Amino acid sequence: MYLAEAEARIDVRPESLGRSPLPGDRWREFPPSALSHHGEACCEIARHWVIAMDFAQLNGAEPTSGPRWLRQKYKWGPSPWPMHWCEAVKRKTIDCGAHAALALEAFRARGLTAFPAQLVQRYSEAATEQWRGKWDRENVSCHWLDGEHIYHEATALLVGEDEVRIWDSSAGSWVCPRQDGGYGSLAAVRICTEGRDGDGDGLRWGERRLKPGEWVRI
Amino acid sequence: MKVYVSGLYCGGNPQPGVGIIRSLRQGYPDAKLVGVEYTNRVSGIHWRDLDDLWIQRPWDELELGLYAQRVGEVLDGGALWISGSDLEAMWLASVFPDGHPNLLAPPAAALKRIAKPAVEAHRGLPVDIPPFVSSDLSDWELHAFCRAHDWRVWLKGPYYDAARVPGWDSFVAARAALTKVWSTETLFLQAHVSGYEESVMLAAYRGELLGCVAMRKRDVTAEGKTWAGDVGPVDPEFETPLRRIVKALNWTGGGELEMVRDVAGRLWLLEMNPRFPAWVHGATIAGHNLPALLVQGATGIRARPAEAEAAEFTRVVLEVPVRSEYPLPALPEPFAGAVGHSMKHPSGLTSLAERLHKRDGEPIGLAEGEPDEAADGRPGVPETYLDDIGAMALASVETPQFLFFEKTAEGLFRRAAERARRLSGNAVRVASGYSIKTNPDERLIRLALDNGFYAECISLAEAAKAIEVGFRADQVILNGPGKWWPRGMMPKERMHAVFCDSVADLDRCVAAIAAGEMSAKHVGVRIRTPNVTSRFGIPLDSPETFGKLIDAVGRLPRDAAFGIHFHMASSNIGVALWWHLFESMLKWCRSIEALSGRRIELLDMGGGWFPDDWHAGDDGRFERAVETVRALLPGVRQIVSEPGKAMAQPSMALAMRILEIQEHEEDHVEAVVDGSIAELPMYAFQPHRILRQCRETGALQPVGRGKTHLMGRLCMEHDIVASNVSLPEGTRAGDMLIFCDAGGYDRSMSYVFGRG
Repeated sequence: MYLAEAEARIDVRPESLGRSPLPGDRWREFPPSALSHHGEACCEIARHWVIAMDFAQLNGAEPTSGPRWLRQKYKWGPSPWPMHWCEAVKRKTIDCGAHAALALEAFRARGLTAFPAQLVQRYSEAATEQWRGKWDRENVSCHWLDGEHIYHEATALLVGEDEVRIWDSSAGSWVCPRQDGGYGSLAAVRICTEGRDGDGDGLRWGERRLKPGEWVRI
Repeated sequence: MKVYVSGLYCGGNPQPGVGIIRSLRQGYPDAKLVGVEYTNRVSGIHWRDLDDLWIQRPWDELELGLYAQRVGEVLDGGALWISGSDLEAMWLASVFPDGHPNLLAPPAAALKRIAKPAVEAHRGLPVDIPPFVSSDLSDWELHAFCRAHDWRVWLKGPYYDAARVPGWDSFVAARAALTKVWSTETLFLQAHVSGYEESVMLAAYRGELLGCVAMRKRDVTAEGKTWAGDVGPVDPEFETPLRRIVKALNWTGGGELEMVRDVAGRLWLLEMNPRFPAWVHGATIAGHNLPALLVQGATGIRARPAEAEAAEFTRVVLEVPVRSEYPLPALPEPFAGAVGHSMKHPSGLTSLAERLHKRDGEPIGLAEGEPDEAADGRPGVPETYLDDIGAMALASVETPQFLFFEKTAEGLFRRAAERARRLSGNAVRVASGYSIKTNPDERLIRLALDNGFYAECISLAEAAKAIEVGFRADQVILNGPGKWWPRGMMPKERMHAVFCDSVADLDRCVAAIAAGEMSAKHVGVRIRTPNVTSRFGIPLDSPETFGKLIDAVGRLPRDAAFGIHFHMASSNIGVALWWHLFESMLKWCRSIEALSGRRIELLDMGGGWFPDDWHAGDDGRFERAVETVRALLPGVRQIVSEPGKAMAQPSMALAMRILEIQEHEEDHVEAVVDGSIAELPMYAFQPHRILRQCRETGALQPVGRGKTHLMGRLCMEHDIVASNVSLPEGTRAGDMLIFCDAGGYDRSMSYVFGRG
C-alpha cells in the first residue's frame, strides 16, 4: 500500500469525535509500512544484501539479538514514500517505517517469527514542532505527528510460546515494557500478526497482554 | 544509635558509603553517623549527612593490630559498623572471623565461599558463571582460552580491576600491569558475556535474609558502572535459593550479586560483593531502604518506613562544601615531564591487598578442589617435538638457527590428508591447500605435494617455487592482489583456480584469459569479510558494492567453473567467530549464486588456524561444515580448506643460546640471548613454548613463568623475545633455549638484522 492510500485511512479530525478514547485513534486504521519491490534485480540485490549483511553482523551472537547495525548504517529521519527496496538501502536516512520493515525482514530471514508493531508515543509539543519542521523541509508527509503524540513503527519478535519483545529499529533498542508515562513513553501499541490471532489472552509483553491486531492503551 | 560507615569514595567508580549514609539518615533521622576513611582525599567525607568522621592513616601506613583493637573498642562500645569496601570487609573478617554482633559484615567463612570467579556459594541460584581460567596456566593454555572465546575476554584482578584483552599483546601488557598493582600473579581470565547488566542487592543478619531488591542498569559510565537504573522486586525463583544461600553462609551485612542477562535471557553471575553496592540509595529512592533494614534487623529498633519516590533513579554531579576541619590536601605534582597526577588508590588499598594475601594466601576462588596444583605456568610440549629434537646433534648447532621438526611436520601433513579423505564424498571432494607464504621451505612444500595438497600462492614467484618443487600447474591456486608479480612468470599451463581480489583484478583476469595469457579450471572471486576488518577481496559492505560484485561475476568466462574464496585468520578473531563467519560467507555465496545465475563449484576457505585448533579440533565441526556447504550450495563439487599456519608453525623451532645472565633486585633477571625479534617476529602475537637444554645431561626442560626477561641480541629497545619466564635452576651462559612453534610467520617473516 502506498502512503497516499494509507493516509486516507487517517482520521484527520479525531477531535471532532470529542476526547479520543485511545491515543492511537488517529492512526487506528493506518497500516504498517512495507517496502515495495520493483520485481527486478535492483530490489532483489538490495533484499539479499540486507539479509546476508544482517547475518554477518550477528558475530555469532544469539539470533534474537536486535539488528542494531541497521541504525548504525541508516540514520533516522524523513524519507519519502512509497519506498522500494533498492531505494531504501541506498539512503543515508530512513524513517521508522523503513527501519521497522528492514528489521522485520532481518528477523524473519534468521528464521524467527516477527510482526510489525505500531506504536503511539508521547513526547512534547516542542519535540513534534521540531520534527514537523524537519519533515516539512524535506517535503515529506507529517501524518505521524499529532500534538504531543507521534505514530511510530517497530518490530515485535516472538521469543517464546506467546511472549514478544518490541525492537525499535530506529532507536536501536528494545522498547521497555515497564515504563508507562512521561516523555518518550508508549501510549498505545498494536501488534499486526497478519492473521495470527494468538491465544485468548493475547501476546505477553512484559507484564501486559496484547491482543493481536488491536490497539492497546498503555 | 551510632553507625560507622566506610567506603566513602565518590569518583567515577564509587563506593557505597555515601549512599548508605543517605539511606540511614532517611531511616534513622536521629542516628549518629560516622564516616570512616583511610585518606582525606576522598570526597565523600564532606557529605553533609555525616555527623562525624574517623579518618585513619592509609592502609600502607596503618598499624593493623592497633587499628583492630580500636575497631573492637568501637564495636564493644555499642556502635554498629557497615563496611563499604571489599578489602576492608575481608580484613574485618580476619579480625573477627566469627563476626561481632555489631559488625554488619560477613564472616570469614562466607567470604571464602564467594571468592570470584567461581563464587562457590552461587549453587542453587538460576545463574551460570562465565567460563574462566586462572592465569597460573601456561601462556600456551591462556592463549587457547582467548581463542576459544573469540578474544572477548577480560583479565581480572583478585579484588578490583579488569582489562579487556582483545589480543595477545594486550593480554601480556595487562597481566604485567595488574600483577604490579595487586602484587600477585594470580589473576584470572574470564569470557565476556554480552547483554544487559543487572544486580540483586541484599541485606541479611546472622543468616536471615532481611530484604533484597533487583536493579537493571539503564545508563552506564564509560567504565560500565551504574549511572541510572530501574528497581524492582526480586523474582521468587531467585529469592528462594538466595534465602537458602544466605542462611548457609550465615551472612551478615549488605551484599550484591552482579550479573549479566544475555540476549537469550540467561543470567550470568560475575561476582558477589560482601557489601552494599554504590547504587544502594537508588533502591531507597524506590522504596527499598536496605541499610535501614539491616540496622533494624541488628538492633530491633524500627526504621522510618521507606517511601517510593520513583521506580527509577539516576545520578547527578554535585558540588558540596569542603569541611573546614578537613581542608583539601595538596595535589601531587605530575612526575617531571609526565602527564597526569598519578594518584590512584590514595587510601593504600593495594597495599592492604598485598598484606592480606601475603598473610592469607591468594584470594581467587577457582573451583572445588582448588588450587590447581598442575598449573605452574609450564607448558606441555608434544612428544614429537622432543623426538625431533632428540634426533638432532644440538651441540654443533650454530645459533640462532631454525630447527626443522621432520617427524612433527610429516605427522601434521599426514593427518590433514587423512581428514580431507575422510570428509570427501561422492558429491563433494575435500582437499587442503598449503599456503606457501606461511613458510616457503622446500621440505614443507614437498610434504604438501606428497599429501595431496594444492599449492596456495599469492604471487607468481610462489607459483614458480611450487612448480619447481614438483607441483603441476593444475595443482596451483593463485590468489591475492599480487598475483601478477613478478611479470612474465604466469604459468603457461592451466591452473586449478584463480581468485580475483577486486573488480579491477577480475577485469584484468578476464582479459588475460580471453587473450590466452592465463588459464584456470576455476575462476572466481575472493569476497571480503563484511564485519571483520580486512583489506582483501571484493567488499560487500554496501548494496552498491554488492551490486558491482554481482555484475562482475556475470563477466567471468563461462568455460571455467566458478569459485569463491574467503580467508580470515581464526587465531586472530577466535574459533567460534570464525565458524560464524564461515556460515555467514555461505549465505553470501548463496545470494551471489541466486543473483548472478552462476553456480559455485569450488569453495576455497581459510585460514590462519592456530595449530591446536585445527589439528585437535576433531569434534565433528568439519563434518558439519561440509554438510552445511552441501545444504546451502548444492553445486559445490570441491572444498579446498587452507589451514594456513596450522601446518607450518609447529614444524620448526628457533634455537638460541644464552649470552649473559644479569641478576637484579627482587629476583628479577635479564638474560641476553643470541636470538632476537629478527628471527622471532611473532613474539608479541603468540606465545612460544620454550625448552632449555641442560648442558650436563642434555635433558630438555620446559620454561615456566617467572621474573626473567629474555633480551635479544639487537641494540633495539623492543628486542625482548620473552617476558616473565623462569629459567630452570642452574641455567648458565652458553645454555641453549629452543623456542618451539616458530615454523610459521616467525620463519617466513624473519629478517636479516644486526649481522653486519
